[in-house]
Amino acid sequence: MTYITILLVAVIIFTSRYLFLEGKLPIRLGTNARDFLSFSGPAVLTAICMPIIFVKDDQLNIAISNPYLGAAIVSIVAAWKTGNIYWTVGLGVLVFIVYGSF
Amino acid sequence: MKKNKQVYRFAAYKGALDMLPLSLAVLPWGILFGSLAVQRGFSWLEAQAFSAIAFGGAVQIVAIELIADDASLWTILFSALVITSRHFLYGLTLRERLKKQPLRWRLSLGFLLTDELFALSGHRHAYKNRLRLYYALGAGGSFYIAWNLWTFIGIVAGAYLPDLTDLGLDFAIAATFIALVVPNIKTLPVLITVVVAGIASVTFATLGLELGLIMAGLLAMTAGFSANLWKRSR
Repeated sequence: MTYITILLVAVIIFTSRYLFLEGKLPIRLGTNARDFLSFSGPAVLTAICMPIIFVKDDQLNIAISNPYLGAAIVSIVAAWKTGNIYWTVGLGVLVFIVYGSF
Repeated sequence: MKKNKQVYRFAAYKGALDMLPLSLAVLPWGILFGSLAVQRGFSWLEAQAFSAIAFGGAVQIVAIELIADDASLWTILFSALVITSRHFLYGLTLRERLKKQPLRWRLSLGFLLTDELFALSGHRHAYKNRLRLYYALGAGGSFYIAWNLWTFIGIVAGAYLPDLTDLGLDFAIAATFIALVVPNIKTLPVLITVVVAGIASVTFATLGLELGLIMAGLLAMTAGFSANLWKRSR
C-alpha cells in the first residue's frame, strides 16, 4: 500500500512537471501568454528566496542580527556589480558565516 | 565525433558545477526526509524509493507525515497536488523551448524539472541546442543524485545527526537565486515583478499560506505583465 501511495504521489509530481512540455497537448501560447510567462523566472525565484531571508518561524525578521539579511545585501551588491554567480554566492556565504559566528 | 562528446560532457559538468550550491543547500532537507521516514516506520527501501521515484522535496516530507498519521489517500494526493502545482508554471514557461525536442529529452528533463533546475533555465538559449540540453541534464541529474544521497545519509545516520535545517545552508539557495535574478533586472517591468514578488511572498509566508509561493509568483507576473503593456502603449 505504501508503494502504491508513493507511486501515485510520484505520478502527480511528474505530471505537474511534464504536462506542458508535451507538444501534442492542444494549447497554443499567444503573444500575451508568452509575455506573461516571461516574468515567471524573476517572479518565482524572488518568491522562493525572499521568505528565506526575511521570515523565521512565520515571523518577519528584519533585525540587524539576522545574518540572512546582511549576507543577502552583500549578495545583491555582488550580483549587481559582478553579474557572476560564483562571486555572488561565495561572498554572500562568506559574510553569512562571519556574521553568524558573532 | 569524439571531440563532440567531450564538449557535451563539459557542458554537463558545467551544469553540475552551477547546481552545486543548490545541491549542498538541500542536504539538511534530504537528511531530514530520510531520518523522518525511518522514524515514522517506513522501511529504508520505501524511503529511498520515494526520493528515487518521486524526487519531490517538500512534497515527500509532507506525504510521509500524512501517511504516518493515517490520512486518507485523497488527502495525501490533494496535498501533493497543491504543493507541486507551481511546476505547471515551469513547464508552461519552458514549453516553447522544449516541446519540439525529442521525447527522451522531454521525459528526462521533465522528470528533473525542480525549482532548482528551473532557476538555472533562464539563459536566452536555454534548451535550444544540444549543448544547452546537456547542461540542463548535468544540472538536474547532479541535483537528483545529491537528493538521493542526502536521503540515504538520513536513512542510515539520521538518528545520530543533529537537526541541520537550522544551520543556515538554505542561505546558499537565497544567494544563488539573487545571483540569477539581480543581473536580469534591466527593465522597469522586471523590477516591478521582483518588488511585488518580494513583498507578496514575505507577507504570505508570515500568514503561513500553503499556496503563498505560487500566489505571490502569479501576482508578481501579473504586475510585470501589466507594467509591460502600459510601457508599450505609451
